[in-house]
Amino acid sequence: MPPLSRFDALQSIATEYPTEPIVVALGTMVREMLLVGRRDNHLYVLDSMGLPAAIGLGIALAPAARRFDKVIAIEGDGGLLMGFSTLATIGLLKPEKLLLVVLDNGAYAATGMQRTAAPAVDLCGAAEACGIRAHNVDAPEDLEAVLRGSHRRPGPALLRVAINEQNRSAPYFLPDPVELTLTFQRYLAGPTTSPLAAPASGLGAGLRGKSTPHGPAGTPPAAP
Amino acid sequence: MPPITTALGVDTPAEVAARCQALIEAIEHLAPSHILWLPSSTLKSVIDHVERRAGEGVYVSVPLTREEEGIGIAGGLVLAGAKPLLIVQDNGLGNALTALTTFAQPYHLPLLLIVSQRGGLNEYNSMIHTLCERVDDILGAADLRHFKLDERVPVQRWATSVVAAWEHAHMTHRPVVVLCNLLY
Ligand SMILES: Cc1ncc(C[n+]2csc(CCOP(=O)(O)OP(=O)(O)O)c2C)c(N)n1
Ligand SMILES: [Mg+2]
Repeated sequence: MPPLSRFDALQSIATEYPTEPIVVALGTMVREMLLVGRRDNHLYVLDSMGLPAAIGLGIALAPAARRFDKVIAIEGDGGLLMGFSTLATIGLLKPEKLLLVVLDNGAYAATGMQRTAAPAVDLCGAAEACGIRAHNVDAPEDLEAVLRGSHRRPGPALLRVAINEQNRSAPYFLPDPVELTLTFQRYLAGPTTSPLAAPASGLGAGLRGKSTPHGPAGTPPAAP
Repeated sequence: MPPITTALGVDTPAEVAARCQALIEAIEHLAPSHILWLPSSTLKSVIDHVERRAGEGVYVSVPLTREEEGIGIAGGLVLAGAKPLLIVQDNGLGNALTALTTFAQPYHLPLLLIVSQRGGLNEYNSMIHTLCERVDDILGAADLRHFKLDERVPVQRWATSVVAAWEHAHMTHRPVVVLCNLLY
């Protein structure tokens, strides 16, 4: 059994990247990440299994990502396999900032530990075949070292982290998703003084000279 | 009276080209930052245009592997303040449904999907009816707002309608689909 639990792995990622955008996959992943702590730089994906890698890719492609060392997407093995073809798109576009962390327990844990196909797949090999640098991590010390080293190493990269079957019991998290959107969007926009603060996707963005009804993005936390 | 035709359509190539040109005009007016696409043969000239303009550095052009991937990437771009546009075929809307209903809709992400509609009268490919014929009902059942452009809408109104649909997505904070029937 791998020594690392999902909680340990999530804690290491959140600690190593306290100010970088982190997309967190559904189910146990989100709930255990909330045990580590609720953060404005975390996007909690409440369902949408298989989508976090694509969401992370979208963030990493945006100009706003330049302010960050990395954009991190945390996926389960089941989720990665569901959105597997996104590895090809990541390999094609090569977003330098993207770090995809796969917490691999070889199971669909959130639904009762049913087996996935992951034990039959060399996930790092698959990522490398798509043109993504990949690392396999089995030991807790390795995870911290690899995470520390990943800050300045240009991506895209995939870390496949072997985790054991431990699941922490955590309360349900039932927010209105709009609240999650606004918090994360404001975080990514940075301080209002930044030219990045006004969301470019608003109505005013190049449309018949209308002004945006969204206004500035409030008072976001200071950008790292 | 035009001659009565069957399966291969009553539209002249010039009429189809004019509709594609209207979509191109709308795209250029919207000035997206990223265009994510999964092609349809009826949209070939539009995708060719997008690829050419992306080569000139006007926007980033992204070939998708699946339609839901496009919803994920576009959603991430919107969260980060960019201006994505999606172009797909209605045959692939089934692939995108879970992502649209669990991510784009509840997270209030304004997205515009330009979707080529297939499978109606004069469709030349009999393999394409099975999903496409149900797309209007599926979108309705999923509460996905959609507008239709077909031969009943004068081509002069196509570009402004696409721009209006984009504005509608932003005004209503949700994904909006423009179903474009290019062949009739
Ligand atoms: C499209 C879809 N199919 C199935 C589910 C049910 N489901 C929720 S979480 C989950 C398991 C996810 O497994 P994995 O990504 O490996 O993460 P783990 O729970 O093992 O940490 C499943 C199957 C879902 N939410 N969405
Ligand atoms: Mg798993």
